[in-house]
Amino acid sequence: MPLDAPVSRSKYDVLFEPIQIGPKTLKNRFYQVPHCIGAGSDKPGFQAAHRSIKAEGGWAAMNTEYCSIHSESDDTHRLSARLWDDGDVHNLSAMTAAIHKFDALAGVELWYGGAHAPNMESRQTPRGPSQYASEFETMTYCHEMDIDDIHDVQGFYVEAAKRARDAGFDIIYCYGAHSYLPLQFLSPYYNKRTDKYGGSFENRARFWIETLEKMKVAVGDECAIATRFAVDTLIGEDGVEIERDGVKFIEMADPLVDVWDVNVGDIAEWGEDAGPSRFYRQGHQLPWQKFVKDVSKKPVLGVGRFTDPEKMAEIVRSGQMDIIGAARPSISDPFLPQKIKEGRIDDIRTCIGCNVCISRWEIGGPPMICTQNATAGEEYRRGWHPEKFPKKGSDDAVLVVGAGPSGAECARVLMERGYTVHLVDSAEKVGGHVNDVSSLPGLGEWGYHRDYREVQLGKLVKKNKQSQLALGGARLSVADVLDYGAEKVVIATGSHWSTDGRNALTHAPIPGIDASLPYIATPEQVILGQKKIGKKVIILNADPYFMAPSLAQKLHQDGHDVTVVTGVELGRYMHFTLEYPNMHRMLHEMHVEVIGDHWASKVEEGRIELYNLWGDGSERRYNGPGRMPRNPNTSHTWHNFDTLVVVTGRKSNDELYRGLKERKAEWDKNGIKDVYVIGDAWAPKLIADSTFEGHRLAREIEEPKAQFPKPYRREVSVFGTPYIPGGFTDIRYEV
Amino acid sequence: MKILVPVKRTASLDDEFEMRDDGRDVDADFCEYDINEFDEFSVEEAIKIKEAAGEGTVEVVVMTVGPEDADEVLRKCLAKGADRGIRVWDDALEGSDQMAIARIIAKVVEREQPELVLTGAQSSDHGFAQTGIALAGILGWPHGAVVSFLEYTPGAPSLAFRRELEGGLEQKASIPMPAVLTIQLGINRPRYASLRGIRQANSKPVDELSHTDLGLTDDQVGEAGSLSRIRRMYVPERGRSEMIQGTPAQQASRILQIIKDVRG
Repeated sequence: MPLDAPVSRSKYDVLFEPIQIGPKTLKNRFYQVPHCIGAGSDKPGFQAAHRSIKAEGGWAAMNTEYCSIHSESDDTHRLSARLWDDGDVHNLSAMTAAIHKFDALAGVELWYGGAHAPNMESRQTPRGPSQYASEFETMTYCHEMDIDDIHDVQGFYVEAAKRARDAGFDIIYCYGAHSYLPLQFLSPYYNKRTDKYGGSFENRARFWIETLEKMKVAVGDECAIATRFAVDTLIGEDGVEIERDGVKFIEMADPLVDVWDVNVGDIAEWGEDAGPSRFYRQGHQLPWQKFVKDVSKKPVLGVGRFTDPEKMAEIVRSGQMDIIGAARPSISDPFLPQKIKEGRIDDIRTCIGCNVCISRWEIGGPPMICTQNATAGEEYRRGWHPEKFPKKGSDDAVLVVGAGPSGAECARVLMERGYTVHLVDSAEKVGGHVNDVSSLPGLGEWGYHRDYREVQLGKLVKKNKQSQLALGGARLSVADVLDYGAEKVVIATGSHWSTDGRNALTHAPIPGIDASLPYIATPEQVILGQKKIGKKVIILNADPYFMAPSLAQKLHQDGHDVTVVTGVELGRYMHFTLEYPNMHRMLHEMHVEVIGDHWASKVEEGRIELYNLWGDGSERRYNGPGRMPRNPNTSHTWHNFDTLVVVTGRKSNDELYRGLKERKAEWDKNGIKDVYVIGDAWAPKLIADSTFEGHRLAREIEEPKAQFPKPYRREVSVFGTPYIPGGFTDIRYEV
Repeated sequence: MKILVPVKRTASLDDEFEMRDDGRDVDADFCEYDINEFDEFSVEEAIKIKEAAGEGTVEVVVMTVGPEDADEVLRKCLAKGADRGIRVWDDALEGSDQMAIARIIAKVVEREQPELVLTGAQSSDHGFAQTGIALAGILGWPHGAVVSFLEYTPGAPSLAFRRELEGGLEQKASIPMPAVLTIQLGINRPRYASLRGIRQANSKPVDELSHTDLGLTDDQVGEAGSLSRIRRMYVPERGRSEMIQGTPAQQASRILQIIKDVRG
């Protein structure tokens, strides 16, 4: 540092010191680890824009998601990047070029899945250290490698590394976390070999060490070699333990590695790494990660949903890790480093740890979404920048009714664009539904969604004195809205849980269910404490997400005996958010009884009649009009309760919207140009999707039919243009 | 019938701020300005009386003493339903204390002849809680301070109210008209202006008057007409916060030490 350089006194300075990784330099300590987004090599625009927006926001390095090295490791139905051929090199070059414009580094995570990759597209047979069925893809077995196979697969890594270098990548990973191939060799859980690649620690480490050596020889002068290593697989001595094989491998491989990316866990329960906020706080992996620095001479990084700059600085300062790895916090706020640098801490859009981003990969590769950041995944196809907004297209003033996720986001973006906005809610606080949800056990951090909008709206209304945040007043009637004086009206009045048992299975109310009765309660009534809840509670559930498990947890903690009767798989969507395993462990601990595959036929005071969904027999026949094609279901039984909680389905609060539509003839004379409905008021949905709808409308409100989205840019291969340069696209049979 | 509602544009401080060079106030660059919170309630109470009385019966006049920037506060009241505004200002008014301000308001009362004056119980920045009472003193009108409930029908010879006392007590009283009341927070739920109201406010009249227009002489306003003078405004030197660091045990023992120190 030159002597006359200004002396900065920020406590975050340590996060902005450059650090050398092999032949490359990271300009600061903010590092986007490899994470899936649904782009891969097939949506290069999405890939380039999503990664480079973070480069613009100050991150020192951005990585691809896992990137397959060969068609033998094909994860279809999930979506990885690929570096199989020159077509992939061409497409991924878009990402590296876009990142390099911002003086940041681009990395790629070379991946071979073994039995965890089902090869549903390529139809190839995966190879592994021994033969087993994957505990993640339980239909898929690998072929046990012989020495020739080992050399083949190591060659795949080397060839892919060269292609990665040609694509412009600065950092090249050998991916051995989440139970992928190098770790399968290292871990005795998978490796049952008796030759020089199995048995002793040295033998089990050999495949990984040799592969790193070969990669280093091939590209190590030009690119930094990284490895991602699960230093503890959380299954005790059957797998890798940090203080045994973990630190031993770090010591052994250290000379070959330019930067370590360390975490814990495996693939089947990788929520132990990407920990949801419901179960894990910031830095939850540090008790394992901190051992690495003791034995490594190389820079060490790792994730732990680090959202708090104080914690990040403390980790670096105290020497637990050198670099802050982030996936989810970088999605939630691509400008996190810049905001920290500028001291704009209250402008950070903090990750809430809901794992809805991850859910999309788990579902099988639709584009990633984020609950907090509506622009995530929309950078390329809709041209949305997370921090910049087009200037308003008119002087129309906008009334937004409802300050929940959708309305608050809509108002925020409209104000950012320069519109005069009145955001009105009868509640005293911004947040709507999120205020209820974040009061449930373990979901407190979801309140960051509200906090971000509350802070931003507070700042924005001060910039435009015509705008207004009107909370805690009377609910607006149709006449109030007509008379309000707004040119445009956005209805974001949310939804409510059905009070009559209406549900996804029968699409009808359940006789006897009426939430005005003292012994029946909706989720809102439970959360707001509006009903006296009896000792024995039955939760009747047809919702596939968190509400029933969360209420079971809350009611158990409040001292009730809880049974959940569910007509859909309980917490099915929580498979995708990685909350499922620990949610079930918790229900088990609490002795919550779960009666699956049952639904209710009727309810009386103190009892509910249930039937088995499959109780109508497997035989189907035509019995004539008015007769069911199956046997009568005779599985009905009565079950007693003190309170029945009905988590059966949701319904839009759309009276205000429909009332305004009925009086469309009066819009013009009241100066109203259009009325829109967004979020749950349009149809109940994920908080992420409600937030998106509010954001989307705010950006497109000048469009003639702004209720419905503009088309987005699609990235599809154009027929007649071969993916591999020099290839062909016409129909040719090999005959 | 006419209700006069004097309001004040008050300052709130940014997280970090600096004092003015003369050391007698905060540098205005570090302040955010808005209508005095208490006045939101007095304005609402006046508009409620107006609305309950029916069209054309009651006129609500809002006034303030302050430079042009204070117009935004009057417009806010007009947007909610006040009928017109009066802003009194000229350079000689600089430095007026609460007594001088009360004298100015009293002159506006003479000019407007309202039956009722509703002020905020105090201002949220300086908090003297004197202007309303001083006004009643100058006018020689009956008054009620810190009013938390008001019952009044336009045209009635008296009004009934409740006021908050210390120790959770309330006092019920009635006084003859005309009267001055200072209004407490929470007496009602102040409304928000609609977009239509905000637009309409821009076309409502706001009279601008100087102290001479009101028949006041130079020595009755400004510092000359004041009974008090702010000598210095400052942040007391002794720090009142401390960042407690260390292990949980160290933090706990430090907290214990502080509690012991404070209790003596």
